[in-house]
Amino acid sequence: MTQSKSPPGSLPHNQPSSAALGASLNQFTANDFLPANRAGLTSGLSRPSLSYWQDAWRRLRKNKQSLASLFVVSSLLAFVFLGPLVWTVDPNHQDQTQISIGLSMGATAIVIGDRNDWPGLDASPIPAIEESTQELGAPANLRTVDVVSTLGVRLAWDPVPGAAAYAIYRNEIAPEPDRLGVPLGSTQAPERVSYEDNESLQTRRYYYSVVAVNAAGVESTSASTLDLDLKPGMSLDLAQETKADAKEGDIIALRAAPLGTDSLGRDLLARLMFGGKISIFIGLFAAFLETLIGAMIGGISGFFGGRIDNYIMRVTDFVLGLPFLLFVILLKVAMGIGPGESGITALIIALVVLSWPGAARLVRGQVLQMRESEFIHAARMMGARPSYLLMRHMFPNLLGILLVSLTFNIPSAIFAEAFLSFIGLGVAAPAASWGSLCNDSIQNILTHPHEFLAPAITISLTVLAFNLLGDGLRDALDPKMRANE
Amino acid sequence: MRYQQFYGFLRSNGVKLTLTVLLALGAFWVHLAPALATTNQVVKIALLGEPPNLNSTKATDADSFFIIGHTMEGLTRYDQAGNIVPAVAEKWEINDKTATFKIRKDVKWADGSPITAKDFVFSWRTVVDPKIASEYSFLLYHIKNAEAINTGKKPIQELGVVAKDDHTLEVTFEKPCGYFLALTTFPTYMPVKESFFKAQNGKFGAEASNILSNGPFKLTSWVHGASLRLEKNPNYWDAKSITLDAIDIPYITPNEGTRFNLFKTGRIDTLGLTKNILQDAQREKFKLNKFADGTLFFMRFNFREGRPTANKNLRLALAKVLNTNDFISKVIGIPGTLEGTGLIPSFLQGATKLFRKEYPIAARRQNLAEAKKLIADAKKELKLTGPLSLVWLTGDTPVATSEAEYFQGLFKTHLGIDLKIDKQIFKQRLAKASAGDFDIESAGWGPDYADPMTFADLFTTWNNNNNGKWENKEYDAFIRKAMNTVKPKERMDAMAAAEKILLEEFPIIPTYERTVIYTQADRLTGVVRRSVGFDPDFTRAKIIK
Repeated sequence: MTQSKSPPGSLPHNQPSSAALGASLNQFTANDFLPANRAGLTSGLSRPSLSYWQDAWRRLRKNKQSLASLFVVSSLLAFVFLGPLVWTVDPNHQDQTQISIGLSMGATAIVIGDRNDWPGLDASPIPAIEESTQELGAPANLRTVDVVSTLGVRLAWDPVPGAAAYAIYRNEIAPEPDRLGVPLGSTQAPERVSYEDNESLQTRRYYYSVVAVNAAGVESTSASTLDLDLKPGMSLDLAQETKADAKEGDIIALRAAPLGTDSLGRDLLARLMFGGKISIFIGLFAAFLETLIGAMIGGISGFFGGRIDNYIMRVTDFVLGLPFLLFVILLKVAMGIGPGESGITALIIALVVLSWPGAARLVRGQVLQMRESEFIHAARMMGARPSYLLMRHMFPNLLGILLVSLTFNIPSAIFAEAFLSFIGLGVAAPAASWGSLCNDSIQNILTHPHEFLAPAITISLTVLAFNLLGDGLRDALDPKMRANE
Repeated sequence: MRYQQFYGFLRSNGVKLTLTVLLALGAFWVHLAPALATTNQVVKIALLGEPPNLNSTKATDADSFFIIGHTMEGLTRYDQAGNIVPAVAEKWEINDKTATFKIRKDVKWADGSPITAKDFVFSWRTVVDPKIASEYSFLLYHIKNAEAINTGKKPIQELGVVAKDDHTLEVTFEKPCGYFLALTTFPTYMPVKESFFKAQNGKFGAEASNILSNGPFKLTSWVHGASLRLEKNPNYWDAKSITLDAIDIPYITPNEGTRFNLFKTGRIDTLGLTKNILQDAQREKFKLNKFADGTLFFMRFNFREGRPTANKNLRLALAKVLNTNDFISKVIGIPGTLEGTGLIPSFLQGATKLFRKEYPIAARRQNLAEAKKLIADAKKELKLTGPLSLVWLTGDTPVATSEAEYFQGLFKTHLGIDLKIDKQIFKQRLAKASAGDFDIESAGWGPDYADPMTFADLFTTWNNNNNGKWENKEYDAFIRKAMNTVKPKERMDAMAAAEKILLEEFPIIPTYERTVIYTQADRLTGVVRRSVGFDPDFTRAKIIK
């Protein structure tokens, strides 16, 4: 940018028109010594002059990859900050009718009246005809009583001669002999021929098996099996909270959950927006601060040079050697952040304190290079003060790399936050960030992978988009650094 | 004994990081594992967490008792049917005033030296020594002068236990105790060899080399946070009836998904199931079994100076806001889990039939209107204008986390209470609970012996496990009364009366009684699952091909 192409001592190039002048040296007239009219030459520019920013924007637009990232980044920001205005579900509301469900739109539930204390059904036990060790038959006429819903299933069956009790099993796949599924319980008295199951029922098909148990406590090998498709049920109290005139047997629309719900019935879309606010805030705030501080320190170091530069750079090396995780933990302790309290402040401080050297080194290099360039020498010779040099000449030239450094710092800050929240050092419940959402859901990854995938994909997408945008910005703002064009 | 939440396991952040590294190394493990699998008569299990304390005089938790139960043996033990049978003692005589135990002639420590009556005297004196501060010292209070020694009023030599000779142990009772024999199966009553204990310089129980076993197995390796290995003890007096060569614990893993995969691929032989992996277990067609282990889970309130939970209206409000059925179904999710209504779990016997049948308690019902009124009163009494904030001390298992967030939501929505969740690894949780560093602790208690007293005396002022420091003279008086008589009806009446006070004052709110659903490899037989005594018991297990 500052080097001259002419070798020292060589004559300056003549203007193109001077060759023509030389050819007709002996035909001078007085008119030839009039001042040249150059108006036509300068006004003949083929395109309008572009400012630095206009030029950068033009180059960025040509780069499809960065344009796409820019679009993704703006969509994410809109999703996180404008999304809650559209999707007004409370991220901490625990919806007891919709637990750990996948994508759900337009589901309905049936309103169930008071279900407390079902006395159950009794039959007079039929005594065994032969010895109690005889193999018992399967209970006949296995049926349901009342409405079947996720709030509860009431089973009843006909008594088996000689049965001392009945064992009840529930399975999610069709049962096979000796593999009847989850043992729910058993009836304690021989006359009891009913059972109620209301244990974590979901909207799906269940296979209930009932087995007779003889007096010796041995279960019969023949079972009766009943398969049931459960529909969501909602208690009357809960239904009346949303619709005052709801009554038993009504069909009530359930709230849509475009991304499903977690194991406590919280809406995942709302939590993703809610968590994104913290993640993005930390990403932007910490990255801005660390770039600003890095630029100041790097600027001072490069501008003054010499001993000051040496000292500052050694401090920078020292800071780069500090372990991040240990630093966060110590800082949390030092700041007196107790368990169950948010570690966000400590996290931001640690990020800023440990991450400024990157920006500082970048800026220092650039300032050192600029300091020796002709236009700075010229300005110095004309008596410019350091502050003028910094603000007028150096800062505008640094803006490009600062912006690039900022866009690269944002994803690393977001990722650091996600990582810390994932290992439990970041936000405290009930607040959420994308990292803590991943941590909450990784335990259920086998059964409910969607709970993990949504925040994981969002983190990946954000980090990737910011990185690609940073790449594009670097190319656009500093064309000389571009690898190819 | 203390329980951690539902298949809990240790997980500190540090451990989690190590785990990530371990997972990365997982590929190497895969190659090593089949070599272990072909070894005969070795049971392989994954432990959920590092045992917090293997010093038998100080251990208080189920994880440590599991290891101690396999490596140590007391005067008596439980057999596979749950009966108390002779162990180190071959016979005994018990009356209301004294007990005399005859110790076998052929019992040896793992180092070959004989076990004598003196080893019991030393161990029991250590437990009641106020300098040692064993939290289980109250279990020895039936022995003459134990309480006076433990409170520093009498010298340690006056404990009512003497070694008449090397093979005769004589115990004098402070008061008659109907279940003393059951206590002698318990880890706190197990022998400790004095010369070995003193040679460890206070590190007794800290490493595998600091433990001297006398049980069916001995601890041969203990890599903290990573693995343990128990091998058959050839010096065990009944070694001929032990079939297993070793109990290998190559994995201490927090992740239930990992444990599920370890079981599925045959690298471990037993698997406890939680809500999250129950579904997969059904799809894999595992044979599922269940048993109620008698552990009661509850919220414990802190009564120390300055804690808002000392306010009765606040505790009542929390009790009224709770919908236990909903909580069990949505958060615990294990079929068969019982609602926690009272202090005495439903499996314990009363005077003639089940205690709970003799003294029934109506189930608590949620009452939001009343809860809101009570919390307003509580805030007035506490002179609070802003929101009330409480610290919830809990374990770091998925179920504990889920439970904490469930209550956080419930208390915030209906009572406006901010719950700060303090998640700790098991060992640290116990330490914080003992130090009183909490407002509400999510705690669990399993029976130490088959008598309602194992739960009833938990909230007396003299019990070191009364972490909330609740003090109620009437309650103490009823428990004293129950302790000082052997008449079943009178004892049960007194304990029921004490329980009634507890359910009016709510120093704890019982939440649920645990049911365990588990599966085990088909090649494994003879494993005993039980609610009283250490669980699971592999001592007489066999591997059949």
